[in-house]
Amino acid sequence: MPSMKNDSVASGGGRPWWLGLAILVMGALWLNGARSIASTTNYVGVGPAAIVLAVGLGLVLLGFLLIVQALKGQLASHSEDEEEAPFSRPAFLMALAGVGVPLLTIRWLGFPFSAMLAFTLVTHAFGSRRTLLDLGIGALIASLAWLGFSRLGISLGPFFPLLG
Amino acid sequence: MDILNQLLGGFAVALQPMNLFWAFIGCGLGTAVGVLPGIGPALTIALLLPVTAQVNPASAFIMFAGILYGALYGGSTTSILLNTPGESGSVMTALEGNRMARRGRGAAALATAAIGSFVAGTIGTLALTFLAPAIAELAFVFGPEDYFALMMLSFTSVAVVMGRSMVRGFAALFFGLALGTIGIDTQTGQTRMVFGSLELLDGISFTVVLVSLFAIGETLYVASRHSAAPAAINPLSGGSWMTRQDWKRSWKPWLRGSVIGFPIGALPAGGTEIPTFLSYALERRLTKHPEEFGQGAIEGVAGPEAANNAAAAGILVPLLTLGLPSTATAAVLLAAFQNYGLQPGPLLFATNPDLLWGLIASLYIGNVILLILNLPLVGIWVRLLLIPRHYIYGGIVVFAMVGVWGLSTSWMDLALMFGLGLVGYVARVHDFPIAPALIGLILGPQAEIQLRRALAVSQGDWSVLVGTPIAATLLAVAALVLIVPPLLAYRRRRAEADGQSATAAG
Repeated sequence: MPSMKNDSVASGGGRPWWLGLAILVMGALWLNGARSIASTTNYVGVGPAAIVLAVGLGLVLLGFLLIVQALKGQLASHSEDEEEAPFSRPAFLMALAGVGVPLLTIRWLGFPFSAMLAFTLVTHAFGSRRTLLDLGIGALIASLAWLGFSRLGISLGPFFPLLG
Repeated sequence: MDILNQLLGGFAVALQPMNLFWAFIGCGLGTAVGVLPGIGPALTIALLLPVTAQVNPASAFIMFAGILYGALYGGSTTSILLNTPGESGSVMTALEGNRMARRGRGAAALATAAIGSFVAGTIGTLALTFLAPAIAELAFVFGPEDYFALMMLSFTSVAVVMGRSMVRGFAALFFGLALGTIGIDTQTGQTRMVFGSLELLDGISFTVVLVSLFAIGETLYVASRHSAAPAAINPLSGGSWMTRQDWKRSWKPWLRGSVIGFPIGALPAGGTEIPTFLSYALERRLTKHPEEFGQGAIEGVAGPEAANNAAAAGILVPLLTLGLPSTATAAVLLAAFQNYGLQPGPLLFATNPDLLWGLIASLYIGNVILLILNLPLVGIWVRLLLIPRHYIYGGIVVFAMVGVWGLSTSWMDLALMFGLGLVGYVARVHDFPIAPALIGLILGPQAEIQLRRALAVSQGDWSVLVGTPIAATLLAVAALVLIVPPLLAYRRRRAEADGQSATAAG
């Protein structure tokens, strides 16, 4: 059993006190946000700020509890019986790039090209190395999706914005 | 009988050729996503939401119903043949089913799973048919304070039941609640938590949250942790179908599974997993062949499979009658109703009987379609697993983009997809359940409305919240849900500690 815990440390688990901190910060943001919502005084019952306040308080409390649990070592991430490969940072970053790349390209290159790039990056994150084939398949899927959805009346933006 | 007449009317809707077509599409898609890892019914329906904006609501919901049931059929297939449950509800099926497949009894395991799903699905749908109108009738008297109490019960039970610890469950719930406050307050028109962004005024779209947390989070997770080894498919060798003895050993577990599954599914935090655990445990206790459990006992497949299908029908009871989702899939269905400007609840039975009864009738039809699609054609579905995984996940990301970008071609939505995708990944790594976040997001704003409505009616007197017997009871149950599990866990821990010190000493 103890060896499992060590495994989860290696895979980025360990004592994730920062998780609790993130929730805590989010709660603080919401508490702060609640202050800036003007309460309409003539409103009977609770105003628009109340729920924000309540949610903020809840998040702060939960964040605090999570930090305590993490420091006590009760938050070891799961590694029960799933036979999983160890964490691979390059693969993770490649997949993340695939999800992120449309943010940079979609305004210039449009949906089909952005989706093609995303597709190719994700396939490479999964170990594919046939770049040209993946680009081709990605372009095909993305273009078909663009055409098909346009037919259905759902706009996925211009095909290639740079061409106007 | 009034119900029978309405059900017949529903069949008239569901049997229209166009709607039958959608039912087929839904069942096919559902089976496919059930077979494929990483995509579930919730995600599929969410991705289809923009598409169905062009389809009439009855057809869309008939398709969604097919996906809901189909995913359960498909999930059992991979559990049995590959020992990789496609859905959380089929984890128990893998235990005995995969053993059976390894011993060359795969065909019988698949058959008992499919027929059990059919039997339980039909029983569950029957129960839904007769129970839902009755509950809807009861719910007519619900005031805002009753709805508020009901939602509190839903929140606490979802947060407690799902995931590994209460703190995680509640963290997920509050994350969803927090996202739900973003945007314009519907009652006073004030902006809340928009951080100066015009694009956030409308709030965060449910589809974006769901797609990001599930699809993107899962893709990042699997990408960072997959092994190159391809999955091995157990051959359907021996091909022996169910023997007479198999039938004899299966029919009781089917019925027992249905009886366990439906009521639990119908609870505010039912889900399909717990009934499968219970059914498995029960079959193990009742079996006349205890030595076979762990080696491939057919009861261990028949029972849980029946339980999860009956539970799926049960989930529709609170959803359709009270507008209360208890699983991620139900939350998406609720979002789908809202997309059409419909609010599930007692009124819907009066205002949209065609849609509702068409949906219920299509559940019967879907079960038949799925039995046909799954029994003889199971070999074809398994072929889906031959698609290389990198293409499956590449495709998932492309369709996630379609779903998110197609909403309103907003860059902000894509950015949210990226950010929430990371959140989904972290949640996956650290075992935070996703469903509470979704339910918080979709139910939170409604709970707020009900609370404020109740307080407005009572002129700010908070005692109104326990002012009706229904509300008081529901809130008390909600509190119990919160208090009892930690007490039990504490007692169990103490018992375990005692046991361990005893074994250590001995």
